Amino acid sequence: MNLPRPATPLHDRPAPRRWTQIDPILLIVTVLLIGYGLVMTYSTTAETRTFTGDPMQFVIRGAIWATVGMAAMAAIALFDYAWLGAFAPLLYVFTLGLLWVVLAIGTSSLGAQRSVNIGGLSFQFSEVAKVLMIVVLAKFFADRRASIGSPLTMLLGLALLAPAVLLVYRQPDLGTSLVFIAIFFGIAFLAGARIWQLVALVAIAAASFPVVWALLKDYQRARLSAFLDPYADPQGAGWNIIQSLIAVGSGGATGKGLTAGTQSPLGYLPIAESDFVFSGLAEDLGFAGAVILFALYIVLLIAALRVALRAKDPFGMLIGGGVATMLLFQILVNVGMAISLMPVTGIPLPFISHGGSSLVSICFALGVLQSISMRREPEGP
Amino acid sequence: MRQEQRTFVSARRFVAFGIGILVTFTALTARLYDLEIVHGDYYHQLSEQNRIVRLPVLAERGGIVDRNGYVLARNIPGFAISVIPVDLARSREDELSHRLAAVLDLPSDDVREAIRAQRIRNPYEPVRISKTPVPREIALAVTERAELFPGVRVDPESIRFYADGTLYAPVIGYTGPITEQELGKLKDSGYLGDDDLGRTGIEAVYEQYLRGTYGWREIERDAAQREIKTLALQRATVGNTVSLTIDDRLQKLLDQELRKGVEEDKFTQAVGVAMNPQNGEILAMVSIPGYDNNMFARGITTAELAALNADDRHPLVNKAIGDRYPAGSTFKMVTGLSALSEGTATRDTVVNVSASSFSVSGTTFYDWRQHGSLNFVTGFAHSSDIYFYTLAGGTQFAPNVRGVGPDAIAKYARMLGFGAPTGIDLPNENGGIMPDPQWKLATFDEPWTIGNTYQEAIGQGFVAVTPLQLLNAYASVANGGTVWQPHLLKQVTDAAGKDIPIAAWSSRKLEMTQENLRLLRESARRVVTIGHAYMPNLKLPIAGKTGTAEFGASAGKDSAGRNKLGFHNWFVSFVPQADNTDPTAQIAMAIFTYDSSKSLCELCLNPAVGMTQRILEKYLGATK
Repeated sequence: MNLPRPATPLHDRPAPRRWTQIDPILLIVTVLLIGYGLVMTYSTTAETRTFTGDPMQFVIRGAIWATVGMAAMAAIALFDYAWLGAFAPLLYVFTLGLLWVVLAIGTSSLGAQRSVNIGGLSFQFSEVAKVLMIVVLAKFFADRRASIGSPLTMLLGLALLAPAVLLVYRQPDLGTSLVFIAIFFGIAFLAGARIWQLVALVAIAAASFPVVWALLKDYQRARLSAFLDPYADPQGAGWNIIQSLIAVGSGGATGKGLTAGTQSPLGYLPIAESDFVFSGLAEDLGFAGAVILFALYIVLLIAALRVALRAKDPFGMLIGGGVATMLLFQILVNVGMAISLMPVTGIPLPFISHGGSSLVSICFALGVLQSISMRREPEGP
Repeated sequence: MRQEQRTFVSARRFVAFGIGILVTFTALTARLYDLEIVHGDYYHQLSEQNRIVRLPVLAERGGIVDRNGYVLARNIPGFAISVIPVDLARSREDELSHRLAAVLDLPSDDVREAIRAQRIRNPYEPVRISKTPVPREIALAVTERAELFPGVRVDPESIRFYADGTLYAPVIGYTGPITEQELGKLKDSGYLGDDDLGRTGIEAVYEQYLRGTYGWREIERDAAQREIKTLALQRATVGNTVSLTIDDRLQKLLDQELRKGVEEDKFTQAVGVAMNPQNGEILAMVSIPGYDNNMFARGITTAELAALNADDRHPLVNKAIGDRYPAGSTFKMVTGLSALSEGTATRDTVVNVSASSFSVSGTTFYDWRQHGSLNFVTGFAHSSDIYFYTLAGGTQFAPNVRGVGPDAIAKYARMLGFGAPTGIDLPNENGGIMPDPQWKLATFDEPWTIGNTYQEAIGQGFVAVTPLQLLNAYASVANGGTVWQPHLLKQVTDAAGKDIPIAAWSSRKLEMTQENLRLLRESARRVVTIGHAYMPNLKLPIAGKTGTAEFGASAGKDSAGRNKLGFHNWFVSFVPQADNTDPTAQIAMAIFTYDSSKSLCELCLNPAVGMTQRILEKYLGATK
């Protein structure tokens, strides 16, 4: 306890990196998932390429983003994640700034303002913001290990979270704001928050549902109604759900084969390379393809949890838990939406949805995990 | 330090989290298993239905021609106007609705509603706005000013067109949109919701031949309903051409004469029917007033339909078959044949018509003059009422002649085809009334009287016939005793020119002797040569019988503003090949004039007689 403080800006002690402690499983499964994603991008955009004239356009773009992501992952792994903790307040301000910028100068598409164009590329800052928010919340809870049971800590944490959620919701991007909330709950849970407090929060949210319902936009309400009964308006709000179910179901055990699906190239599946990419995957590669994907995800998540458990400090553990929460929630909501277990929200499926911002952000998060892994206490005595 | 951190972040929470991960993926996998493995086939089928759609390929309806190939009904190109909502800005919806409504003569609210409904249903798919085919000028106006008509699409579509619409409408009828109920029954035969089908006349009766066989096209389409490619194609087969037995030349001759008669105020309505007695082919069938069936083909307006329905002359009824009238003296043939066949009279049965009237139990019966001594031929030729009263019921003028009685008359009348539809290949045929004592008892609960017998003998009273029934009866006498099923269908030819087999026409024999039928033919010829229907400078051996029946009011005006005159006139004729009594006639014709002038009749100027001479001389003059 009375160890001398090191001469660094870090209040946790700096740790040397040990290349041997890179988590190999996490790395391999990351590479496999990126590859799987590129295959799916190829499959779902195969028909589109006949119209654009550049057959591999989407795949090449995906590969470039994958390269950028891998580089980012390596770069982040080199740095001691403790620096992130040191600059957490700055990161928080930066996060809110990014989200504000989206609202201020973002470009609209499909009625929502979610991305910012820079040099001809479009960036979804909220993807990066999710990862930064994990760091901020992890730092917040790691620093409050003594008062974790206090309702005040919860309220402070919520106050930290609320501006980000509201900014994302204003885009409007209900899905991503839900991811933020999920991250909060995940980190709070792993940080040891009182279960009753978390349950109470959920109960309050549930009780305030009528208020939330009133605040929802018409299309969001329609999506919720359609989730409960897609056949009430099969040509309208229920269309996506029904078409997605048809795509998934028609894949059967082994699928129609890569690029052989009919639902997405003919436009029955909207946003087939992103929001509804899982439906395309299940159609092309069937139950088998989906189960392989699930297996990769499980390995990834367990590996992330293992990194967290072995981390040398609470900050690292909570980052690991937060990343796992984010990935799990996105997978659950995206896949659940495709198979009508969840209402329709535009959340990308990690690695599989085509989109640079999402991929690079996840790589960034996994880079942090590798950094944590490399800086854990050596195994054994 | 390390120990402290471990207690801070509980490993149990991480284990719980790990279990949460497994539970989540188990749930997702279970759901996927249900969708892809358990219900995979079902969804696979749905995805095929999504993608592949079978579209009908419409077949052009067959034409209708007369016996010489003159085209009576064909298809001419028209246009359908539709709107694709996705191409129409919401802000211009009202403006366009108003403009289209004005151009197409539709309520603008309907147009707007149709566009709005489609916008919700499927904005990529066009919704048809024009209810009926649009003529070329309007279609051109819309396409040329495309900037005024955003989202509007013009597609070719064919309109049924009837040459000489009004002239042939009673025979050909018209096509019209299929009703919901009909669609229910006909869906399996390939009918579609926006199909037209024959609604009446030949169009309805021979729908099966005219319609053709729709083909189909299986296409792959995308979610926006855009066609990607054709997967399979079955071509449509054009409808067959229906040739009628009608001779357009005769039809037009008849029409001209009858129309002239109406214009000259000799009568207000008229029917002319001609047939070949040798086979029952109808050569002409004119019913005046008629209606223009093109009104129906292009979509009749409510006002037009209301006007037709309100007309007290019933222009929508084909009066050759659809309404019944007293037969008047033409019915004397039936009375005569009954008496001859039962043996109560012969050609030599003499009745001395020594007065022009007589009374039975307080009722006076008249003849039109005091004829003196008449035998069968002169009695028929001069159309003596008393002669035929005597044959039917017996009179004081010939105590030795026994009346044949109403039951026998009814029996032979029915044999000749009265009291029942002739079976012509047209819808809505009236069967007429052929009364007998049982009929009167059943209908009026009154016994038959001798007065009823007298009235029936001269075609008055209860007996009511259609012009076609009368013609067919005379034709059976003219051809030597065969009652044919009159018909309009001559042949059916497919697009390749091959004949399609059609059902044979029925016929039956009269149970009457050739001698008696020959006597009737002789008597009918005498009507023209020495009797009632004098035809000056006649060049043809026309035989026939006049008829006059008084009816209803001879006051007021009909819907066309013509005077109601209170008389019907008939002339039923046939023309043997030579001036003899052989059953060789190739043409028989009935002309019926409704509301003829009384003054004409008092001078015995039955207008039907002169018209018959002119028509037959013109028609047969060219061929003989």
